[in-house]
Parts: sequence; C-alpha cells; structure tokens
Amino acid sequence: MNIEKLKSIIEECELENDKITVKNKLHEVVNFLKTQLSFDMLKSITAVDLGDEIELIYNLFSVIDEEDALLSIKVKHEAESISDIFSSAKADENEIYDMFGINFLGNEDLKRLYMPENWEGFPLRKDYIQDDTRLAWNDNGENA
Amino acid sequence: MNYLYHLYMEFLSKYGIPELFGNITFYIIPFCIVAAALLIVVLGLVLIERKLLGWLTQRKGPNRVGFWGLLQTLADAFKLLIKENITPSKADRFLFNLAPILVFIPVMTVLGIIPYCAEFTFVNTSTNVILYLILVAFPVLSLFLGGWASNNKYSLIGAVRGIAQVLSYEVPITFVVLSVVTLASSMNMTGIILAQYSRYGIFGWFGIPCIIGFVIMFICVLAELNRCPFDLPEAESELICGYNTEYSGMRFALFYLSEYALLFANAIFLSIMFLGGYLSPFGAYLSHLILGDSSLASVIVYFEQVFWLILKACLIIFVIIWIRATLPRLASFDLLKFSWAVLLPLSIFNLFFTVVYKFVTGGALCGLS
Amino acid sequence: MTTARTLKLNLGPQHPSTHGVLRLILELEGEKILSCEPDIGYLHRGMEKMAEGLTYIQNLPTVDRIDYLSGCFYSELFCRTVEKALGITISEKSKIIRVTLLELNRIASHLLWIGAFLMDLGALSPFFYAMREREMILRFFEKLTGQRMMYNYFVFGGVRKDIDYIEDIAEIVRVLPEKIEDYEKIITDNPIFIQRTRGKGILKPETAFNNSITGANLRASGVNYDLRTTDELYKGFEFSPVVLDGKDSWTRYKARIMEIKESIKIIEQGLDKLKTCGKLEQKLINPLNIKLPEGEYYSEIEAPRGLASIFIKSTGEDKPYRLKWRTGSYYSINLLRELLIGEYLNDAIAIAGSLDIILPEADK
Repeated sequence: MNIEKLKSIIEECELENDKITVKNKLHEVVNFLKTQLSFDMLKSITAVDLGDEIELIYNLFSVIDEEDALLSIKVKHEAESISDIFSSAKADENEIYDMFGINFLGNEDLKRLYMPENWEGFPLRKDYIQDDTRLAWNDNGENA
Repeated sequence: MNYLYHLYMEFLSKYGIPELFGNITFYIIPFCIVAAALLIVVLGLVLIERKLLGWLTQRKGPNRVGFWGLLQTLADAFKLLIKENITPSKADRFLFNLAPILVFIPVMTVLGIIPYCAEFTFVNTSTNVILYLILVAFPVLSLFLGGWASNNKYSLIGAVRGIAQVLSYEVPITFVVLSVVTLASSMNMTGIILAQYSRYGIFGWFGIPCIIGFVIMFICVLAELNRCPFDLPEAESELICGYNTEYSGMRFALFYLSEYALLFANAIFLSIMFLGGYLSPFGAYLSHLILGDSSLASVIVYFEQVFWLILKACLIIFVIIWIRATLPRLASFDLLKFSWAVLLPLSIFNLFFTVVYKFVTGGALCGLS
Repeated sequence: MTTARTLKLNLGPQHPSTHGVLRLILELEGEKILSCEPDIGYLHRGMEKMAEGLTYIQNLPTVDRIDYLSGCFYSELFCRTVEKALGITISEKSKIIRVTLLELNRIASHLLWIGAFLMDLGALSPFFYAMREREMILRFFEKLTGQRMMYNYFVFGGVRKDIDYIEDIAEIVRVLPEKIEDYEKIITDNPIFIQRTRGKGILKPETAFNNSITGANLRASGVNYDLRTTDELYKGFEFSPVVLDGKDSWTRYKARIMEIKESIKIIEQGLDKLKTCGKLEQKLINPLNIKLPEGEYYSEIEAPRGLASIFIKSTGEDKPYRLKWRTGSYYSINLLRELLIGEYLNDAIAIAGSLDIILPEADK
C-alpha cells in the first residue's frame, strides 16, 4: 500500500499493526484515500469501546487494486462524519450512534435505529447496565 | 318463456291473486333462482381455481375438508360469514358499508340478462348487449367507492388504478362488441347466438372471422376483471389487495363473490360473442342426433344447450387461471399504454375488417343454415 | 415533508413484499416516489451484544441465526476467524466438505430469492418451482445436520462429523440444471418480466461503490469482484465469477441464475474430490476452554447477499471483547434511499426485490 505517500501528506499518521492511526483530520484522510489512492468503497465502520474512549476502525477498500486500508481514530463522544464522501457511511454511523452514542458531526440523519426512540443508554458501551429497571420484567423489582 | 309466463299467470288467477302481482313477481323469481345458482357457481369456481392453481404450481390444493377438498370453499364462506365486520374508525361509515352492496347489485343483474338456453332468458330486451356492457362496468365504481371510503392509502391507490384501468379497457371492448354486432346485425344476445348457427357447427362462430377481436376482448376482460397480469388494483405484493384491504367478514365476502360472479358472467359473455353461446360445436345438437325428434329430445336439448354454454365458459375460465399461474404483473403505465397504443388501434382495424368481410361475403359462413 | 400534493405511504413493516419486516417511508406524488426513508430494527436480536456475554463455543450455534437462508456462511466465517486466531489448519477433506455445503447453501438462498422476486412481480408459479428444488437441498441438510436452516455443522477445526448422503448431493446436481432451464423458459424471456425489469433500477458502479454494495448486485453492474477467487478455502476449485454488464434488475436476476450454475460446477468438483479422499481425519480442539490470544481478528467471505465480514477483538479471555458483523443486506437497504427516487410504486417493489434483501441479516 502506498502508506509512505499518505504519510508524507498527512503528518499525524501512525502505522500500528496494519492500521493507520490518525489523531484528527479524519475527513481529510478519507477524502485523500478516496480521490488520490482510489479507495472507492467503505466496507464498514467498526466501533470498539476501549473503556475511556471509543475506537472507530474504518475499513476502506480499493476495488481496482483489491486492497484494504484500515483507518483508526479514537474519539470520546463526537466524531467527524464522512457521510458526504461515502453514502454507506450514513448507515454505519447511524448504527454506531445507536449502539455507542457517538455523535457524528455533519450527519443529519442520525436516529435510534435498532433501539426504541425513547431508549436510554447505548447497549454496546461497556458501561451499559444490562439488568436495567426500565426493562418490562424488572418493573416490579423482582429481578433487580 | 311465454309458455312459462302463461302457466304462472294461470296458476295465480286460480287463487284470485291480481295480475299486477304476477307481472312483478314473474321477473323477481328468476333473480332469486340466479342468486341461489350464483352462490353455487362461485363456490365451485373458487374451488376450481384453487385446485387448478395447485395443479399448475405443483401443489395439492385444498384436499382436507370433505372428499377431495370439495367442502373447502363452503367452510371458507362460513368462516367469512361468522367473522366480525370491522369498520375502520376513520372510514366514511355510510359509503364504506354501501360499497359492497353496490358492487353486488349489478353483478346479480348481469346474470339475469344472459340467455342460458334457447327459451330461458329471464329478462330479454332487444339491446341487452349494451345493457350488459353498462352493468359490467358498474362494479368498478363501487370498488372506487370502497377504496375511497376506507380512508386507507393502499386502498386509495388501488381504487385509482382500478378506475384508470377500466376506463382505458372499456374502449377497445366497445369497438370489438360493435364488430360482432355488425356481423350479427343484432344487439340482442340471443340474436347474436342465432346468427352464429350453421350446419358446420364451429365454422359459423364469430370467433373465426373476428379472431383479432376475440383476442382483444379476452385481454380486455382480463383487465376488467382485475385478473393477472392486470391485477394492479389489488396487487397483493404491492398494495396488499388494494381496495379491499380494510374489508373483512361479510363485506369482504360480497366483494369476493361479485369478483368471481363477474368472472363467470364475462366468460359466458365471451362465449356468447365468439364461441356460439349455447350452440353445439357439431352443428346439430347431440340430443337430436341420439334421440331423434322425440318430445324427450326437445326437453333434453335445453339442458344440452346449458351444458355447452357452461363448458365453453369453463374453458375460458381455465385459460384465465392458467394465465394467472404463468405471467407476472404488468407495470401500471405499461398497462395503460398497452390499451391505448396497441389494443385500441387493433380493435378499430378489427371493426373495419369485419365490416369489409360482411360486405364482401354477405356473412357467407355466418348464419349459414 | 408532505404537502397537499404528496402522499406519505408507510410500506411495511408488515407488508407481503418487504421480505421480513422492512419499513419504507415513501413520499409519493401520484405513484411517483419523491423520497424514501428505510427504517429497520424490527428484528434486532442484539447478536453483537449477546456475543460479548457468551464463550466462543456458546456463540457458535447463534451465528447461523444471523441469516436464516445462508447460515453456513456465518458459521464458516466465525469458525475461520477463531481458527485463524488459534493458528489451527483444517484438514483437506473438511475444506472440501465446507465448500460443498457453502455452495449448496448459496443455491438454496438464490432459489428462494428467485421465487420471492417473481412473487413480488406477481408471478405465482416460479415461487413454488423454486421452493420445490430448495426443498431437495434442505432435505439433504436435514439428513446430514438434523436441521433445515440453522445447521451448526461447522466447528472449530473442521466439521461436526463426516459427510454422508453424498448420493443426495449427486441427485441435486443431476436434477438442478434441467430445472434451471425450466425457470429460464418461464421467466427469463417472458416479455412482461423483461418489461418490468429491463432498464429498471439502474445501479451504476460508482453508486454501488459509494454505497458499499457487493456480491451479485455489484457483479451485475459489471465489476469483477468475487471474494471466492482469492479465498483460501476455494483453492483447487475451478470456477469463473459471473460478471454481467447490464446494471438493471433483469441483469441482477440473470447473474443469480448464472451463479447457481457456477455453484453447481463447484459442487460437482467437490463431489469428485469427496469420492476419492477417504475418511475424514481431523483434530478437533477442546471447545470448552478456547481463549483467543489478545488482538484483533478480521475475516470476510462471499455470502449470497454480498460481502460478509466479522471483526473480533479479544483481550485474551474466553469471551470476545467486541464482535462486529458486516452484512450485505444492511447496505442494500441503505441504497434504497437513492435507487428508488423517481421510480413508480410498482417498479419500486421490483427494484427493492431485485437487491435480495433479507431483514434478519440487516438487523443482526
């Protein structure tokens, strides 16, 4: 992969087990990868709760070169949206918003996807309380 | 028919019942007979359709209730009767309840004006072909009423589609019927049937000179009946059965009943127009051939005529079901385009052709006796 | 926003042609679609959350349930990742068995799609014909694994038991080609079918890339991207990816028909190999104390509905720290926002049907 070329342009890049870790300017990096290096498909965005922060792993793919690029960024509660670069990011970001509660700045369509509209908490975060009293069968306190 | 009328009047006058009463009831009684017969016909039709579809799609079809599934439709009808009638709270109550009744009335009337055999037409008017065309186009207005009154978006879309469809397919039908009327020089169904009589049986039928018309009419009938591939108003996979989405119980049964009754009526109309109606395909009736000119034969011949008519109608219904099992549904705009751009010019050509044919041959094959 | 001239139509979640519980909020003008907003989540089972609470062997039976039509693929994906993490290589015969079953599963899935798609278009019979052939495959799976849909047949290090009933597969392979011919006769050249699907739902390659569309949908847009060509598992099998350049619904249908034929070829090769390779020899690991070494593991596979991938982050415990599924249908549903604009309602149903959307897969 053309990692050196990428590094020379964006200085904040680090390479760590095949993953390019960026500190900020994610939008720029993704845009560069798409326009300059022909990574034209975003396979998925994976979010991992690391405890105090959340790691977002962007899996980009170049159909012509059949090559993957992993892009990682660690965020707290907000992240840059790349839905204007990849339409599919809209779906991924929505899912992550629903499950991790990360607000993607620039994505207008964020809404609760799997969980009900009025659901409190974000299930895939490690601090989510599973035996929540909000659950119907816990209402009378038998199970709590 | 006259004979029966005099018999009935004699019977009434014997008991001192006024003639006016007899004049009215004489026409009501046949309709009651039609109503009863209609139920049996529809139950049979539904069963036949389900059995045939089962056979065509490699299934068994209904086979549990009664012997060979014969009582299945009866059980279904019973289930519909005892089901709750639900009226959606946002629906227009009056129109919603009116629509199923309105759809049923013209269908009943249509079956009363059809000649089933030589002496057996309940109501015989001189231009009953036109009466038929009007009555058959009527149910779609009731469907629209039902779809509109349901206050359901699927029903509304289905209803609008239904109106658009029937409006565009009525026109070719009229032209085709006109060509048949030209050939027969009659606007009476019995007249049309008699005009098709010939010694050579099948060769006198209007289906032969008017083959284009027959095909056009067949396609239009499919569209009028909302049958596949023209089942857009009640497209199950798009509109969840369109206009009757909100109907349940008895009201749904009425829609269902009239749909199949119309199928039956249209099949009969097609066979009257093009397949010689109740005429035998061999020229002479079988009962005359077998029994000679005995008085028994003159009675049995009526039954034979009914048999031929029903057989021809059944053949047409079979083809309609066959098409349903084979073809996908048309897209709504292709459907309208097909009617205005293909069927209408063709039907006008057909009219022109039949007029020329009639002029040149003088109807040589037709009416040859 | 609805104005006096437009109509907001709620298509689903209970609707005969949304293949499950998809909800599309459509804005219509007449029958023309102005905007489409897909809403999913009616079948959400929390697969990813559940996985974090279960050990690896406890997870294994649940992964089939991600997609009830092609459970094998998700089983294989999960097993493969665990094997990769633990450094286990599986024996040659279990590889062949896996490929054969995967392809059978793919055929079953495509067959159901053909039936359902034609059902959306209003044709009755193809559904029952397709179901009849699918039944043969499901019967075989039932005999072999005891289950018709959730097979749980692949285990870490191989397969649960040696393959049996090979003559059933031979029968399927013998019968299917002529049945496919029948489908082609009744469907492919049907003028109404062509009118409904030709030139409808054009999916340009750029749009497909942008929306992360993979699998047969992408290959029907003329892009040669089939993961099986680079897949380790498929090494030694000869086949050519089906790439068609039509971009419309009809081509997507044709691509799937041809993919079935391609899969039959692979199964035939698998059968030949199975006949010669003797008894199954495999060393299964004790599943009760599997602990994946710390790290992140990722693998992907060509599932019937496009690329499927799994991401596991392990902290060295017996349960995954984070498990993420990527499924094809989820992105196909997202594509509907773009693809349905400007289409008429009954074309929209056909286009949505042609993308092969399965809701449990999208909802996870």
